[in-house]
Formats: sequence, C-alpha cells, structure tokens
Amino acid sequence: MSRTYWRSLAQIEERPEFRAFHEREFQEGASELPDGVTRRDMMMLLGASLSLAGLAGCRRPVEEIVPFVAAPEEIVPGIPRYYATTMPFRRSAYGLIVESHEGRPTKIEGNPSHPSTLGASSSRIQASVLGLYDPDRSQRITQKRETKAWSDFVTAWGQLSEAHAADGGAGLAVLSESFSSPTLARLASELRTRYPRLQWATYEAVSEENRLAGLRSVTGRDVDLTLRLDQASVILALDADPLLTDPEMIRHARGFAAGRRAGVSSTLPEPQARPEPSQGATSSGQAMNRLYAVEGVYSLTGAMADHRLRLESRQIAPLLAALAARLGLPAAGAASLAAAGVPGVDSRWIDALAKDLLANRGKGLIVAGERQPAAVHAAVCALNTHLGNTGRTVSYYETKDAALPSVSSLASLVSAMQAGAVQTLVILGGNPVFDAPADLDFPSALAKVPHSIALGHTVDETSSRAEWHIPRAHYLESWGDARAAGGTLSVVQPLILPLFGGRTPVEVLGLMAGGQDRPGYDLVRETWKPILGEGEFDRKWNRVLHDGFLSGSELPEIVPAVTAEPFAELGRLRATGTSASQAEPGSPGDLEIVFLPSPSLHDGRFANDGWLQELPDPLTKLTWDNPALVSPKTAETLGLASQDVVRLDHGGRSLELPVWLLPGMADGVVALTLGYGRSHAGRIGSGVGFDAFTVRSSTAPGFASGVRLSKLARTYPLSATQEHGSMEGRPVVRESTLTALRSKHAAAAVPAEGAHAPDPHQAPKGTPSAQGVFPEDPHHFSLWKEHAYDQGHQWGMTIDLNACIGCNACMVACQSENNVPVVGKDQVARGREMHWIRVDRYFSGEPSGSPEMVFQPVPCMHCEDAPCEQVCPVAATVHDGQGLNVMVYNRCIGTRYCSNNCPYKVRRFNFFNFTKDTPDILKLAMNPDVTVRARGVMEKCTYCTQRINRVKIDAKLAGRELRDGDVKTACQQACPASAIEFGDLRDQTSRVVKAKADPRNYALLEELNTRPRTTYLAKVRNPNPDLEGVA
Amino acid sequence: MAQIFPPWWNKLPIVAALAGSLGPLLAVAGVWYYFSPWYTEVGYRPAQPVAYSHKLHVGELGLDCRYCHASVEISPVANLPPTQTCMNCHQTVKRDSEMLAPILASAASGRPMRWIRVHKLPDYAYFAHSAHVAAGVGCVTCHGRIDEMETVTQMTPLSMSWCLDCHRNPGPNRRPVSEVTNMKWTPPRDAQMLMAQLDRERPVSPPTDCSGCHR
Repeated sequence: MSRTYWRSLAQIEERPEFRAFHEREFQEGASELPDGVTRRDMMMLLGASLSLAGLAGCRRPVEEIVPFVAAPEEIVPGIPRYYATTMPFRRSAYGLIVESHEGRPTKIEGNPSHPSTLGASSSRIQASVLGLYDPDRSQRITQKRETKAWSDFVTAWGQLSEAHAADGGAGLAVLSESFSSPTLARLASELRTRYPRLQWATYEAVSEENRLAGLRSVTGRDVDLTLRLDQASVILALDADPLLTDPEMIRHARGFAAGRRAGVSSTLPEPQARPEPSQGATSSGQAMNRLYAVEGVYSLTGAMADHRLRLESRQIAPLLAALAARLGLPAAGAASLAAAGVPGVDSRWIDALAKDLLANRGKGLIVAGERQPAAVHAAVCALNTHLGNTGRTVSYYETKDAALPSVSSLASLVSAMQAGAVQTLVILGGNPVFDAPADLDFPSALAKVPHSIALGHTVDETSSRAEWHIPRAHYLESWGDARAAGGTLSVVQPLILPLFGGRTPVEVLGLMAGGQDRPGYDLVRETWKPILGEGEFDRKWNRVLHDGFLSGSELPEIVPAVTAEPFAELGRLRATGTSASQAEPGSPGDLEIVFLPSPSLHDGRFANDGWLQELPDPLTKLTWDNPALVSPKTAETLGLASQDVVRLDHGGRSLELPVWLLPGMADGVVALTLGYGRSHAGRIGSGVGFDAFTVRSSTAPGFASGVRLSKLARTYPLSATQEHGSMEGRPVVRESTLTALRSKHAAAAVPAEGAHAPDPHQAPKGTPSAQGVFPEDPHHFSLWKEHAYDQGHQWGMTIDLNACIGCNACMVACQSENNVPVVGKDQVARGREMHWIRVDRYFSGEPSGSPEMVFQPVPCMHCEDAPCEQVCPVAATVHDGQGLNVMVYNRCIGTRYCSNNCPYKVRRFNFFNFTKDTPDILKLAMNPDVTVRARGVMEKCTYCTQRINRVKIDAKLAGRELRDGDVKTACQQACPASAIEFGDLRDQTSRVVKAKADPRNYALLEELNTRPRTTYLAKVRNPNPDLEGVA
Repeated sequence: MAQIFPPWWNKLPIVAALAGSLGPLLAVAGVWYYFSPWYTEVGYRPAQPVAYSHKLHVGELGLDCRYCHASVEISPVANLPPTQTCMNCHQTVKRDSEMLAPILASAASGRPMRWIRVHKLPDYAYFAHSAHVAAGVGCVTCHGRIDEMETVTQMTPLSMSWCLDCHRNPGPNRRPVSEVTNMKWTPPRDAQMLMAQLDRERPVSPPTDCSGCHR
C-alpha cells in the first residue's frame, strides 16, 4: 500500500518554515539564551565566573541524617510502600495503588484488581500526584480574606445553622459537584432531613446529564450504563469519545484493544490463549472488531476508527434516525422515521453500517457522546436493546448513592440567589464562577448571597468571591468512598495527612449534617458499618482498605424495555435538525460551535498541573493553549490560517482567540476546548489559553448553531510539538488491513512456533518481517565492532501500534517516574520539551477531506549499534551488558552530538537548569531513585533502569531468578491499552519475545542497521469490504 | 591614525609568562588535591550531637551492627536507629549521664536527633546495602574497624575506582553471610576453598556497567 503520511499541513504544503524546522536538529534560537545573551557573551561570562567559583566549591556540604524518634513498625527507610486508594472523578472512581517513599506519595499506578483501572491509568491519574504538592494550593481558611482557624468556622457555622434550623433551611443552599459516594449520599440525606427546605444543586461543567436524561426517559429510573468494548465486534461511536475524554476511558481502551488484537496478534492478554496468527480468530472465536465513528471534531476514537464519517454534531440525530429506519424496527417505531436520509451523507455508508450491525446482533454496540441530546441517548439505548446488545456489550444499572448533574438545578438555584432567597450557600468543591454557563451569570448571583462558603483546592475564581474559603484536601489526603461505574464500592484512603490543613467534602458535609466536627475517618466508617455488617467489622474493613474496594459490590443489571417512544422523539429531533441545517453548511454566518472537554485539564480543574499543561493534545499536539479548531476547508472559506486571531460571536457573547487548523474536522464546525483561560488557577495555570466558558450557555452546553468568526488583524503564537523531531517522510509507521494480513499469511507458510527469533539480537534485523507482511530488507553489516549480547538479561520492548490509542498516559507516567521537568510554552516552541517518550501523530489521506490518523509512541530505541554512542567525545553514552543504551549524566559535557546523530530524535537536552527554581514542596513528588539532571546534560529514556535494578536486587535477596513480567516500565504499566511489552529477549517464553515473533513486528528505520531493541507491531485496519470506494 | 595596540599591550609578555608558569602549577595543584584522600575525605570525622562510642557499644559490649542498623539486610539504606532504640537500654542504663542528655531530650520531646552523615556517596550513585550484605561483603570492608572507633571516621575513599576494584574482583572481599557483621573475621587458611564454596552457593556478578549504580 502506498500511503503518504504527513505530520502537518505545513509539511504537505512544503512551507519554508517546515523545511527549516526539520533540517535543523535544534531549532532556530534553541541554542540562544533568553534576553539576548548570545553564546559568545556567555563564554565570556563563564570564563569570569569560573575563576571565581573554582575556589568556593571545594568544601563538602555537611549532611544530616534525621531518624525517627519512635519508628513506625511498617516504615523501613529506602523501601517504598504501596497502598490502595481511590481517585474520585465526577461519578467515576479509579482504584489505585500509590507508591509512598518514607511517607510521601510519589507514583500512582492503577489497581490491577479494580474494575475501573485494571492496573492501568490515564494521564490525569498519573498527574494527580503533582496536584498534591501544588505550591499554589490554598493553605489557610479565610473569612473575607482574613485568616481564620477551623474552629472559627465551626463556631460560625453553629450560628448559621441555628438560624437556618428555625425555618427548616429555607435560606440554605448547597451546590455540589456530581458524586457517587455512599458517605456523601448518606450525609446529604441527613442534611435534607435536618433542613427539609434546603435547596440542593449539583452542577458539573462537563457532564453526562443528557445520557442520564435519555436513559431516564426509556426506563423511568435513574440509570447509567457500562460499556464492554471487549465483547463488541462492531462499534458505532456517534459524536462519542469513549477512548479519551470519557471518564471510563481506561476500561474502554483495555476492552477496545483486546477486541482489536483478536484475530491479529500473538500477544494476547492470556499467554496460554495464544493463537496461530494465520487463524484470524482467537480461541474464543471472536474476530477483530470494527469501529465506525461519526463525528464533527476529530477525536481519539475517530482516529482509531476503521470508517470515519465527518458530520456536524447537529446531524447526528438525523443520521441515527436514518440508521434506525434500516435496522428493522417494529412498525410503530419505523413509521416516524420514514424517508430517512441525511444531507451530505452517502446512503451506501448507512446501508453498510446497518448491515454490519444487523449481522452482528448481540456483538454490536452503539455509543452516543455526552454532547448529544437526551433523545439520541434514548434512541441509542433502544437500538442496542433491539439489536440484542444489551447485557452483552452494554449493560445498565440503577445509580445509587449518587448526586446526578443537572444544569436546571443550578439554574433554579441561581434564580433563587438572584431573588435574594438564599441566605447561605455552601459550595462543596467545584468552581462555578469559572465554569457555570455564561447566561446564568453566577458571579453576580453569588454577590447577592450574604453568606457563602466555598471549599476549594486553591483560592480560585469561586473561593476568591466567597465569604468563607476552606482549603480542600487532595484525595491522597482524604478519607472517603466512591462507587465506580457499575457500582463497585471503593475506599478513598489517605496516604499523608493534609499538607495544608485541608478539609474534605465529607468533613464539611458531616459538620453541616451532624452539627459537630467529626473526622472523615469516623464518618466513612459509620457509613460502611451497615455495608459490611457489624460482626467482625474491623477485619472486613481492613480487608477493604487493603484491596481498595469491596469485591462483589457491583449494582445489579437491569434490562430496559424497548418502546416506540424514543424513535418518535428522534423523528421530531430529526425534523428540527434538518430544518436547522437548511443554510449552506460552512457559510460564515452559520457555523456550528462544539464545546470539548480538554483531554488534559478536563473542565479546568487540573489547570495548575504543569505536567498536564505541557502534555501535547493527542490530536493537535498543542501545549499550553486551546485555540478554536476548524477544518482546512472552513479556514479557507473564512480566509484563516493557523495562529490567526479571530473574534467568535455566539449568542450575544464574544471571545477572541486564535484558530488552529485540524484536518479531518467536519466543515462548518468550530471546536472550543474548555478548561483554559483560568484567572485564579495559580502560577502555572493562570492566564493560559482562552476561557471558552464565556460563550457557553445553559441551553446549549454541548453544541449549537449560529456562530460567526471574524478575522482580526493579529496572530497569536501557539506551541505545538507537532513538527518537532520529524522523520523525513520515511516509512516509520506501517499499517496493513486485516484482509491483506490474512492473504499474506496464507501465501507465506508460517514456520513452526519459535522457529524465528532464536537469537534475540537477530530479531530486530528483519527476520520476522521477511515472513510476508513487509518486503524483505537487504542484509546489513556494521562497520563497528558488534557486541555479543549473549549473557545475562537482554532487555527489549515492543509497542503494538494496533493497540495504541495515542492517549498520552505513557508520557505522564514516564514524567512522574523519571523526574522529567516541565519547561513552559516558550521553551516548547523552541523544541526544548523534555518528554522521554513522545507520541507521534501522522495523518494520511487528503487533508481537506477525511484523513486517517495513526499514533506512534517513540521512546529511546536502545539501539544495539547506537549512533549516539559513536559520536560522544567523552563516552557519556555507552552500552551496558544488558543491552541498555545508558546515559551517564556526570560525564556529559553537553556537546549534543548524540542528539544530532540520533535518527529517532529521542534525546532531550537540559538547555537550562529546569529544576533549579522548583519549589521545595514539588521536590517531594520526585522519585528518589532517579537522578535529577542539571543544566547542560543530555537525557533520555533509560528503560526504567531503576526499576530493573530494584527488581534484580529483590530477586537476588529472595534467592530466585527473575520472572517474565517482574520488570514493568512506567509507560508499560500505565498503558490503558496494554500496547507495550517489555522483558528479557533471552527468555524464550517471555511475552516480549512472543510479540517480536509476530509477523507484524518491524524496527523503526531498520535500514540504518541500528538494531533497535524497541520494535513496533504494525497497525491493522479492518475496513468493511462493502464500503470500498465509498467516501 | 589611531593606535591598533594600546600601550598596555606592552605588558602582554609579562602576563603571558606569568600565565604560562602559573597554569601548569594550578593543574598540578588541582590533580594533587582532587585525586588525594584529602578530597575523598578519608579520615572525615565530624563531631556528632552525641559522642556515641562504637568502641564501647560494639567493641566492648558486643552489640551486633544490626541491633541498631536494622534495615541493612533488606533495604538499600542502612538506617540510623530511632531514638527509641537507644532508649531500649538507656531507659534504665546510665540515665543520668550527661552525654546521654540529648537522647533523653529527644525521647521526651519527640524531636528527632540530627546526626551528621559520615559516609556520603554522590546523589547520582545508588548504593544498596542489602545487595552487598547478601553477597557477603563485610561491614568492615567499607566502614573499617568501627568497633575500635570512639568517633566514626571514614576509612575508605568511597570513590568510583575504589568501588570498581571490588566489583571487578569481588572474591577477596567476600565472606560467609553469617560473618558479615563480624568485625574480627579473618579468612580461614584455606581461603581458596571458601571462595570456591561461596561462588558455588551464591555466585555473584557485580555490575561494572554504568547502569549498575547510576540511574
């Protein structure tokens, strides 16, 4: 297949700045100091300071050792401890195992037994440890900006509560985030009993409210769903992003990757179930899944799709109606959907999709995005049930212990506040001043409330306007509980006492409901007594604390009945949708605006997390900003280019922000990312990006029509990592289709298992790839003395491009494990980002049409014949006996020759002492097992050599050999899709050797004969044969 | 026409001569200093907040190293004992000794002792006590005759070349694991036999690669 891959629009247009960009190893200005100090000036300064500094630096600093007074039995200095806890996020709960060094949490991993994480994690989970040590977290309780003690608040609350008790709490209101927690739910109901006239609002800026409303209309109850993507053969995502922005993305990604591997790969989750690659199906008989995506904005799910249809969000309902009409509905439902057609969509596409879904009854799955209206969710639920998918690929359960998000509850609260009916407002977390719909004007309503109490991690937009501010404890400092999606009861266990005296929502609500100040621990245990039973409670409770969750506590499944009502509703929606789209699509006056949650900052709550701010957006590769995204064609119509500043008018409000061209978006769609533009986030997040909440209304929080963009005569620089480290158009990503893979297998006789890769260092040389998937490479020989690598452990890695969803979890996991610094927007623009593993994103196809996307994580390849080693003048990068390409920081003199000579561009240089100004408290987040690098030193992926060493020493102490799977690199452990395998290449039974035996295995740029230890498994697409030639 | 070389250039030969003679001298001085035990601080003997005598406690009373440094076998770090460990005995023994006053104060107030680190490796070197103890490297090999020291003194250079000497040829520094804390152990007469036995029972392959100690 001759695909042309391109990284950016600048590349295919061959713009001069792109040429300049990748012809230089270090970008223009990368070698310059800030403030105009040139290199020559620097040398002069250095010469002068050297003579002064030489005399002062001889004395060894005196270091102290401070042991405990009475040592806790379980803490042994130097040995990390691991505790199970839970990170609550919206109504989800992530079960975690947190590593603690001498009492300070440093690294977070998923809990392998917990159903919502399955041992993996996401970028947000990984980055949350930095949030614990955020120096901008609020450190004191304030009343009207004056420091107060907690006891002052308790007293003040006592007076307020007495006043409210008189009239049943008529003037009392609570605004909370959505949650799913037995303790919070219990306290909330106690509070309602105490104050029957209390007003309770639950608001979430990015919420699943529409889905819940849709499911409520079908079932008549508060019901939510869980997806089982591993069971699905045909998946249709309608404006949905289950693989990235959905709170349950970890579980979804794991399931999706499992279905993706089925019938393709030899690396199955269960080693014993390893099939012959030629069979094309697993032992369970499941075939590789096929994903259809219909969406307006490119999402990660769309990037993974086999067939992707660009369609505005408002056209989803008509498309669903057209699809439903083809799915053989009962007559009553079908009648309302007659004459189904969608403007601009080839009806053959819908026909083929319908055929595929019908052929896979019980193995199909339709998912609708949170943005879509309730009617779409109701119809999707009915269709899934109609197709027999309910109970197999999707299951429904009645929510319990939950506060469900509701914009209308916020609206009625705000009108009560405006009317002066609210005397006391308690804001239990959340940041409504920043993220409430603009039309409600929450700030002015808040000003009318005499007593407002805000619980917040920082003195944020809301807390700075409230009468009382109470610092909120981080989840790693809190006692609490939560129900995961599906209902599993999980415990939030603190790893450290609150650093800044923070309080939890449980404690504040406990004070309000019970009238007395009680510790969170007591409140949570009180809730759990009836759950676990009084008999042997402590034993059972300790078991739950150890596991992190109560097994067997899932909520029972329910099966919704199918009625015609959802389809009638859908038909009505289609009628309005069609009339709304009468205007010429893409005309400047009628663009569609879509509000996206940020993959990093979500709704802005993580804005002060440097790791997340610097994490490139998976699709645009932009850091530190949120421009408006438009398709190239829309930009052409409007005369816009990337980085042009526009004024966006929508619903009587306007916002000035830059635009960025994202190929593959539907034409006539403008996408705004939420969560940026905070004014009171802290030193990292304040003033970064543009506040999209200012144009978001309560009537259309997801998408809306009627947006106008007008170009302003200025530009705004954006920092993308997109072009950095380009690979000069060589075939670095390889892909195939399932049919092509099978026919090649049939043609080439597959040798007996284990016949290939007898010699690990031969494996990357192209032996496996000679079996048919790729053309055979000519034999290479080296001019350098070749190493033997036949002793001890020989480490190697594979990355399965077929499983990788490009979610960036590996990048943050690596950053957390290896003390990788954050450099800032300006430095990223100069190509100085420090991530040891990056995720490259390539497009293929027509940029103005619907290009496909592939992701490729690139860490150091650990070449056996490493080009970097050959050019280092001081032997600062050398090979060790285990095949690791090691970087000796102390020898490095910063010539950067190695980086110049690295074909993979994975080396990172410390242009500055990036960690010098790190606040002391942030140093607590650092991994004590990894050296913190100084200025002038090169660094790169080490294959987590500290983990290898730790495991080796542990095995030696235990007197046993290393087992496969003992060493997990940080990226591998975090990967939600299990795309990364790591292990000993000399162990013929190891999973990495099996993965390398896969015919899809290939080495990156293997013609260079660098013999990389990290190899890739080619991506496989599974297109529908019926859709060949259909756009 | 302006002078190309201003008058002070006349001093150039003198400056050059001075630099020419001082430069090598400085280089020699640098090597002299940085390669010497003075720099590696052999003999470093800081005064500790309590003049704890290993000579008394280990040499005369016969305390095992691991009574206080309890984590040495399981952890990379050989811990310093918590105040509580001192108080195990000094609850009753020598309570009124003036030397013991800081320990008693620490135990009473809950404020930890602040000892001065004697044996210090650079931050980029990762040393694991547990691995070395398991391999049968005696305490005395690196720390010297602690049992004879009134004040703990650094006896070995702890430099990289010194580490590597043993990593390249660990045999002479190995002993049965049971004798690791024995300060007075000497190799038996049939040392060769013992070495062979140790290698058979617990073969070691100390890393000589950078990644063995630097991360």
